[in-house]
Formats: sequence, C-alpha cells, structure tokens
Amino acid sequence: MHSASVKHFFRIFATDFMPFISNILQHKSLSIVGLEKNTGKTVCLNYILHRLNELGVQVGVTSIGVDGEQVDSVFATAKPEITLFRDTYFITSEKHYLMRQALSNIVAVDSQRTSLGPLVTAKVLIPGKVLLSGAATTSILRRQIQTFDSMGIGLSIVDGALSRLSLASPTVTEAMILATGAAVSANVKQLIAKTRHLYQFIMLDEVEEPLRTILGDIESGLWAIDSDQQVHDLGITSVFLIDRSEQNILRFGHTLFAAGAISDRLLKILAAKGKDITLIARDFTKIFVTPEVYTEYTRRGNRLMVLQRSKLIAITLNPTSPQGFLLDSKSTCDALSDALQTPVYDVVQIRSEGE
Amino acid sequence: MKIKELIKNDAGFQYIIDNMDLQSAAGRRGMLNAEFVNNPTALEEEWDRVAEAIRATNDIPNRRYYIDLRHCLMCLHDLSGTFASLANHTPLNEVELFEIKNLCYMSKAASTAIEGLSLTPTLSLPDCSEIFALLDPDHTGIANFYIYDSYDSRLAPLRRELNALQTSGGDPMRISELLAQQSDIQNEVCLRLSDQLHPWVDTLVKTLEQMSYGDFLLAKAKLAIDWQLVRPTLGDVTRYKNLFNPRLKQRNEEMHLRYQPVSIEIRPGVCLITGANMAGKTVLLKSIGTAQMMAQCGMYVPAEEATVRLLDGVATSIGDDQDEMNGLSSYASEIIKISNILSDCRERELLVLIDEPARTTNPVEGKALVQAIIKILEGRPSFTLITTHYGQLGSSCRRLRVKGFVEDMDNIPLTPQSINRFIDYSLTEDQSDNVPHEALRIAAILNCDPEMIALASAQIQ
Repeated sequence: MHSASVKHFFRIFATDFMPFISNILQHKSLSIVGLEKNTGKTVCLNYILHRLNELGVQVGVTSIGVDGEQVDSVFATAKPEITLFRDTYFITSEKHYLMRQALSNIVAVDSQRTSLGPLVTAKVLIPGKVLLSGAATTSILRRQIQTFDSMGIGLSIVDGALSRLSLASPTVTEAMILATGAAVSANVKQLIAKTRHLYQFIMLDEVEEPLRTILGDIESGLWAIDSDQQVHDLGITSVFLIDRSEQNILRFGHTLFAAGAISDRLLKILAAKGKDITLIARDFTKIFVTPEVYTEYTRRGNRLMVLQRSKLIAITLNPTSPQGFLLDSKSTCDALSDALQTPVYDVVQIRSEGE
Repeated sequence: MKIKELIKNDAGFQYIIDNMDLQSAAGRRGMLNAEFVNNPTALEEEWDRVAEAIRATNDIPNRRYYIDLRHCLMCLHDLSGTFASLANHTPLNEVELFEIKNLCYMSKAASTAIEGLSLTPTLSLPDCSEIFALLDPDHTGIANFYIYDSYDSRLAPLRRELNALQTSGGDPMRISELLAQQSDIQNEVCLRLSDQLHPWVDTLVKTLEQMSYGDFLLAKAKLAIDWQLVRPTLGDVTRYKNLFNPRLKQRNEEMHLRYQPVSIEIRPGVCLITGANMAGKTVLLKSIGTAQMMAQCGMYVPAEEATVRLLDGVATSIGDDQDEMNGLSSYASEIIKISNILSDCRERELLVLIDEPARTTNPVEGKALVQAIIKILEGRPSFTLITTHYGQLGSSCRRLRVKGFVEDMDNIPLTPQSINRFIDYSLTEDQSDNVPHEALRIAAILNCDPEMIALASAQIQ
C-alpha cells in the first residue's frame, strides 16, 4: 500500500515534468522507429524503459525482425543492447534468448519458428541486457501486442525497423516515436528535409471504415475502389510491373489501393494519367517515393492516404553520427521542432540530465 | 501407403485433407503419416473412436471440456527434434526444457478434459507427472520455466548479489563475473536435467504421438459432422447410397446450383460406365476413389449410406496427364499408367478406376486397346470401373449408363449456364453394347459454331 502510493505520487510528480513520458503513458502500445541506422533508436528505447521502470509501469517489449545485433553490421560501432528491468515481459528468438544477461522466467514459446528458432516470451526476474529479435509479420506483431494487453500489461513497446525488407509494420501500435539524427545527414537543413519527407507520410490521413477492413485483407496487387465502395482488382500483381501502356488504370474511378510498396514509378504513371487521384498505401513504411516525384504528384491535385497510422508523439534526435559528426543539440532540436510542429528531444542529453 | 503419398495423386482426397481442422502442426504431421489400412478390425475400432469423438463433440453440457481439449491441442508443438537430442544425450537448453514441461502440463490438462468428455478408453495419454515434477522443483504447478534457485545451492546467493548490483548499477566487472558463474551453473543444471529426463524419452514421444492422434481424431469427427459424412459398414461389395463429392457439392451450393448425389454398387470384375459428355462420369470415378481412401484411412465417407469392401489400394488413371517435361504425350503417359495398373493388380486386390482409356488416339486402335484392357482386368481380382465413349466393345461385362439429358425437366430455357439442371446424373443398368451419341447436341447447346455442327451431322447421315 505504502509503496503503491509512493509510486503513485512519483508518477504524478514525474509526469508533470516529463511531457515526453506522460504522453507515452496515454497509449497502450508504442513503436520506436529509426529513420536510419544509428539514429539512436536503442538509446531512446533504453531511456523510455528506464523512466517507465522508475514510474513502476509494467511493460512488454517486442521487436520487428532481427535487430539488436551486438555490433552494428554497417559501421561496426558498439550497439547498445536493451536493458530490461524486473517484471518486464519481452519476446525474442530462442537464439537471442539463450544469449541474454537478464535472468528471466519463460512463460510461453511460440509454435512458429523463425530462422533464429521459435519466439520465446519471458518475464524478467533479475535486470540485465537482452537482444531482441521478433515478429516477422504484422499479424504476429499484432497478436503479440494483444497478448501483452490480455496479460494486463499496460504498455507494449515495439522496437521498430524501417526497412523495405521488413514485412511487419510498426504502425499497428497506437503511438510512435521517430528517431532521427546526424546519421541521416550532418547538414541540419538536409536532416530537416529528410525527416520532414518521412514525417509527411507518417501524418497521412487514414481511410475510414468499412474500406479500411476490406482493403486490410488484400495482400497484393493494385486495386480500384469505385464510388459504391466496391473493390476491383486491376489485374496488376505488382506495382513494379506496371507501365505507361496501362490504359485503363482509372476505369473504376480515381481511388486506388496499392497493397505492396509504392514506388516513384507508380506515382509518375498516376500523375501522368490524371488529377484528383487518391492512392491508398497500407502504411507509411510502404511508401518509397522521392521528394521530387511526390511534389509533382501532389501538385496535380493527387493525394496519398494510408490504411493505418500511428500517432506520432515525439521525434528524438541523436546529434552524433557513426562517422563522428556532431550536431549542436539545442539548435537542431529547436529547428526540427519548428519545422515539424512536433516535440523533439535529444535523448542522450535528457538521459544524462535525468541521472 | 501413407496419407501424404495418397494425396499426391488424388486432388479430391487432398481437398479433404486440406479441410481437416487440425489444431497443431504436430497433429498435421501425425495425420499425413497415417496409413491406408486394410484390416477390418483396426478400421472398425477406428470408426468406433470417431463415433465416440463425434459424441464428445456434440456433448453440449460438457462443451467446456471440448474447448479445453482443443486448446491443449492448439498448444502442441512438434518436439521431435528435442526428443532426438534427449535420446542422443545432447544436453537440452532452457527453452527446450520449457517445451517439455509445457507438454507435460498440457497433457495433464488434456487428460482432465478427456475424462470430462468420458473419452478415456478412446484416447488416453501417458502419465507425465514425474517428468513435470523434475521441471517444477518449487511445486508452482504452472508451465513456466527457468533454472530455479532450488536446482543448485550456489544459485540463490549468487543471484542475490547479482540482483543488487544490476538494480543499483554496480561494478560491471563483478557483474560479468557473476553472469559467467551463473551461466556455468545453469549449464551444469541443464546437463543434469537432460540426464534425468533421458529415461523418459519414450513416454514423451508417446505423449506427443497420442496428442497428435487426438488432434487428428477430433478433426475427423468435426469433418464428419460438418459435411454430414456417414460411418461405413464392411461388406463383400462396395455400395453407396447417394455418394457425393464434397468439393463439387460445396462449389455448387456456393453458386446456387443443384447438386445430385449418385448411388452405385461396385462388384468384383469390370464394370463399364457410359453416358453423354458432361454427364459426370469423371467426377463419379473421382468421388469413388476419394471415398475408398477416406474409409480405409479410418474416416467417415461422403454418402447417405455406405458399405465398403476393403481393398489393398486404389489405382487410378483419370484426367490428362500430359507431361511435356517428360517428353510424353497424353496418350503415352496414359498408356504407361494403365500398363502399370495392369501389373499392379496381378497380385493385389485393387479398386481400379480408369477414365476413358485410349481416348486420345485413333478410334480403331483405341477401341482394340479398351477391349484388351477389359479382358485383362476381368481376369484380375480387382474391382474395376472404366468409363468410355466406345460402343460395340463385344464384352459381356456389366454396364452402367448415366441417364443423362432429361429434356423438358421444367420450363427453364436450355443454356450453357443452366445445362446441368437438365442432366440426370443417376446410373441405370444397361444391357446393350451401345453408347449414347449426344456429342453434337451438346455442342449445339453450348452455342458452338453452327457450320461445324451442320457439317458433322451431314457426315453422319
């Protein structure tokens, strides 16, 4: 009772002074997505776990695909592992489970195997570091979050990956944090431009029900939605196979849905075909479009929408790059925040201030 | 022959197997390895078990036990790799030990559900409580696992220190040291537990097998209920009342089309099936083959009533097997297949199903080949059905004719879409050596080129 009330007091006290963390606590699931490698995603995750532990909030942690290699494979810099606190639930593959430092109690093993063995769910008994490797598909990720929720765990955190190779999407979570930093560009203007480019896709409007559910079940191809909300297969199995000779792409109307990736090629063809086109993507992670092509596409009155989006609650900045560049933390945070109208935090800095 | 081999050559049976509602990959593996059985006692016993499983599935007051049992089966993992390690004295890791503990836990929960459903004599699982106890030194009774402190007296003090250091952010060197010590002790414990579990490997294998079998059994029962299958009785001849093809029946229902089941008796020797094109001869052969496999794999069959004569196997030549990759034409691959069937059924009692033999070669030699095939098969111990469009074969064998077109069945206009409403798919015993000549009429109904039809008619006259 006593300890609970202290925790409660601390929670109120802490949340008043930490808008970042209090914002997270308003959601049941959160993903942390890095704009590129070395943008401080893991530092950010560790910071959040640390703060939530202080607040006595129980969390469940999972990840997308294989991540958390001890050494970053691109730049060979030491990659921080994730430190998990007592009573935290986590999911990782058998291989990485057996490599963990934390002492933990296995509560479930999944029947589906990954290349690193089956996925293991466990509860931490003694704090320590853990390598995360997790869901290969969005449906597995969604199920994991539901499982955490049904176990009474208040917050599920997904260590997200942003990769063309990843089938699982972090947008199944309610909230999202985007990690950016000097690794994206050492030039502040370019850093802002690149972050803003992704930001605008994160902020795209969601389509409404029932279309959302109908389209959600479609796994591949390019589809048209007519004015009666009827869905028609355009018979194009991959948007990469589409070409300019495709005459009838708008035969059912100006609303299209691409179940897979959206490329420059597709947007260019659509921009040449007409105006007032609405192209629906599964989520922002499926959009691989350069700023020039996107500008040209929207200039003609066309737009993009998504089936699913997470609420972006903050952007974090890692001012150092693996090549050794260092940005001025304060001015870069301010500039990003002004440009994107979203709170921006230097996680390394607030962590050291907090300790 | 195993189910996994049978489904390779029979799309109809493959469809049945694909529709089995199994809860686990282990259950599916067990099903695919189940045998085609030709032992009347074994089959009667298996059908008894299916009957019991149907009763349990329909036991509404005890529904919760059924749901529990299905849940336990859903949690079943394929641990054959782990058991192989255990048998070879390869030490198991924590995750594998958890899996074994979980299996024992699920087997106990499943046993409770099986008792609740009064299925005990039908499905019984080995007692795994001693194995569970080995993996549950603290008597928690739940399926969680780690290397508990109680496995080794050194663990508790070591972990107390480690916990204090990790919580307060203590000396990293000391932490590494403690982690290394802990890891060594944990490995010792894993090794010891693996040795202690070694004698239980047969019990574990049996538990997994029985649970997999339970999964298959419940799926058989569910299929029988959902598709209204019937328990066959054994007899000297095979007899179906209203045999149906589940795949076609479902497709027709989805498209709001009529589906007509067919009754047939299959006697020893050769029987020719004749009838117009589109009269369902090929479908009939396929349905009969699939039903025989279902029966002899211990399943119920798709008919209103069924008596089945047990046989050594099913041999079929149905459909166009043209295989350009083998360099064989459709005629070549067919005639090789038939030739193989003829030698296969020299010693064995087979259900032989041949669809329009020699239809892709010239009618003079084709007819002669059919006559030869009939003659040879009449001397074999098989039960043979052959469909054909050849008449005047000069054989005295039994003939069944599909009734075929019934005009003016009602007042619906005859179109390619409505054509199946004008066909009576039932069979009638036929004494004549003739076959129906309706190819041109069907072509006309199908709106084919009128000039072609007119010229062909003129040619015949």
